[in-house]
Amino acid sequence: MKNSISVLGGTLENLLDQARPETHSGPEYPQMAQMLYQTRRLSDNLMQLLALYKEVGKPTYPFEPNTVPVRELVQQVAGQARVLLESKGIVLEVQYPADLLWTFDEDLVIGVLAHAVNNAVRYTRDRIRLTIGERDGMLELTVADNGMGFPPSMLEAGTQVGQGVNFLTNSSGLGLFFASEVARMHRRRQLTGAIRLENAGPLGGGRFVLMLP
Amino acid sequence: MSTTYVTAAGAPTSESADVEWSEKRYLIVDDFVGIRQLLRESLRNIGARHIDQASSGGEAMTLLLRTHYDVVLCDFNLGEGKNGQQVLEEARVRNLMIPSSVWLMVSAEKSVESVMGAAEHQPDAYIIKPITEGVLLTRLNRVWHKKQVFREIDAAYIEKDYLRAARLCDAQVAQHKVHEIDLMRMKATLLLKAGEPDKARAVYERLLEEREFNWARTGLGRIRMANGDHEAARQMFQGVIAENRFYIDAYDQLATSLTLLGRHDDACGVLEKAAKLSPNAVQRQRSLGNTALRIGNIPLAEHAFRKCLAIGEYSINKTVDAFFGMARVCGQKNDIKEALRLLAAAQRDFPGELVKLRAKITEGLVYHESGDFRRARKSGDELEALLGKEKKRPQTALCIEMATLLFAVGVKDAPAELLCHVVRNNHDNPVLVEEVQAIFDKARLSEEGMAMIAEARREASEMMNKGVLLWKTGKLAEAVEWMREARVRLPDNMRILFNSAQMLINQMQLHGYDEALMIEANGVLMHVDELAAGQQRFAQLVEQLQMLIPGRAQTPEAVDAELEALRGAAPAEA
Repeated sequence: MKNSISVLGGTLENLLDQARPETHSGPEYPQMAQMLYQTRRLSDNLMQLLALYKEVGKPTYPFEPNTVPVRELVQQVAGQARVLLESKGIVLEVQYPADLLWTFDEDLVIGVLAHAVNNAVRYTRDRIRLTIGERDGMLELTVADNGMGFPPSMLEAGTQVGQGVNFLTNSSGLGLFFASEVARMHRRRQLTGAIRLENAGPLGGGRFVLMLP
Repeated sequence: MSTTYVTAAGAPTSESADVEWSEKRYLIVDDFVGIRQLLRESLRNIGARHIDQASSGGEAMTLLLRTHYDVVLCDFNLGEGKNGQQVLEEARVRNLMIPSSVWLMVSAEKSVESVMGAAEHQPDAYIIKPITEGVLLTRLNRVWHKKQVFREIDAAYIEKDYLRAARLCDAQVAQHKVHEIDLMRMKATLLLKAGEPDKARAVYERLLEEREFNWARTGLGRIRMANGDHEAARQMFQGVIAENRFYIDAYDQLATSLTLLGRHDDACGVLEKAAKLSPNAVQRQRSLGNTALRIGNIPLAEHAFRKCLAIGEYSINKTVDAFFGMARVCGQKNDIKEALRLLAAAQRDFPGELVKLRAKITEGLVYHESGDFRRARKSGDELEALLGKEKKRPQTALCIEMATLLFAVGVKDAPAELLCHVVRNNHDNPVLVEEVQAIFDKARLSEEGMAMIAEARREASEMMNKGVLLWKTGKLAEAVEWMREARVRLPDNMRILFNSAQMLINQMQLHGYDEALMIEANGVLMHVDELAAGQQRFAQLVEQLQMLIPGRAQTPEAVDAELEALRGAAPAEA
């Protein structure tokens, strides 16, 4: 299944990349862009499920923190989102300290951020901003958009993460649950990672925040 | 804080470092044609022109034999036959990869068995699908950079110059913060290999102050275990597993600590769990089989040895032990015919005198345990004949096993001779000497045994003392010559080997480099390493030896680098 979705997503991405919006004014282009968005969602969700529950009820992910230059994290997230954002005419702004290093599980954090960007595609009008910086000894990673903000149900889900609510019943629950699990796995001295959702971010829309110790 | 602010058009892309990735040769290994096409597309987009593809492990091996690839992108799950890890192992062991080449292991998901399966022969990086160009290029550049940072360290490691390699780790940390954790992990490993567990412990403890790294915690447990504090070690491994139920190495270590505590049933249970989590390690299945055999769980032993034989089929780690273990299982089930067939297969697949000896021992054990004492006696006689023909003796544990069997089947002279050999070569190891005495006691040869042991010990210490006396009285050349004879007489005596190497090095320190002496000293030290790795004196002597190589000795830059390394070293090492 994973292979099939990979091939589907990759092929769509190649097609979109070759066909520029300005040369393609027909209805196929936005439809293909929408297909890519949906494929990405599917692929993310599947990846999250595999990471969380390979065998029923048993997380089987080999957690591997390593030192990563924040710059390279941004490169990889921006690279994954590029074609989708271009196809939808959305601008990605990134803001981060050029030489900062941090220790975390790179694949998991890329997964969370890519999914947050993908999610912001749904809410934003035309801009998404990825900001990473050090704050009170933690690494703060935020994905903000200039849309209407998250609906109340999602904000509520965001505040209840980790309080025993079954997020799988909520449409956005799996992504949030995955993100909170990833945050929770990260620990340093007495600190543990966390996530939160806010409205009225720097661009006026919603804001997803991941804090890593 | 310097902040970069970029918009979509100028979003940072992975720069190519200093590497010309377009000129490299690539191999894609995946059993799924759609994925191969996607990967090829990604590689083309980063400029690659020379790309080969394989759809199975076998096909990959054929291509790897023909071409030196700079980059291999290999899927972990390859359907029938070898998996990605086994392809990598075979490519490494058969030297099909040059040190600069990069192996990226690709998998659909990051699972325990795809990442934790192999302790040795790790790929340079793991990548999860879908692979995008940004991720690919970033990881390629990072691996390349890391290889540069580790190049000298790896070279020193291969030369077994562990102390110099450990100092190089410190020097590199100062310049490459991004690899600090990997370098410190390597340094701890090197210090353990150099027989410096206290210094290794200091490194692990400092890392654990920052973050709870499984491998650092497990490393501390290993040090405890080596110090004989098995219970404390057991608790540490148990703690790692409680935190991360999928850290396989901790299971293997936990099983070892339980075995040392005499809790064989528990050890077996832990190995069984580990084998379920990560079933593709030949070594783990072998341990499970041996432990199960020991506690008499024949079905479990059979299952483990069968699995061991099955995975060994495709693995370079194929081991003769699985044949012997399976033969014992068959013996227990009274299937003597199958046991003998397995012993024949072992000797066919692993030629050599040692395997012949071990096969004969196992044959004797199988007959003995099944109650056929007449045939067991016959195997014993044949073993005795084999020993008479072959002058070289196997390692201590095997000698003891042979002697035990030979006594059990009623042979007298050959086992006594074997045990004397063991004592002569371990004359200063009281625990082992006691064990040998116990074997004589069991064979109702207490008195004779005691006399033989005393004689063997006297002989060894006399040889040693004469050499040391010559050395201390300034007759170095004579001492070197005397130790040569001692080595012939006592080929596996650690003290004699170390002193002999030390004298050869001294000889060169006083009279200049001599290639013949260098080769001789190196040979002696490598033999020591084979007998018992991780000796402090080994690391020190290798370092002294390396310093004698012309050109290796101290250029001004090297002196500077060493001084810098020392300044950057942890306070505990001052």
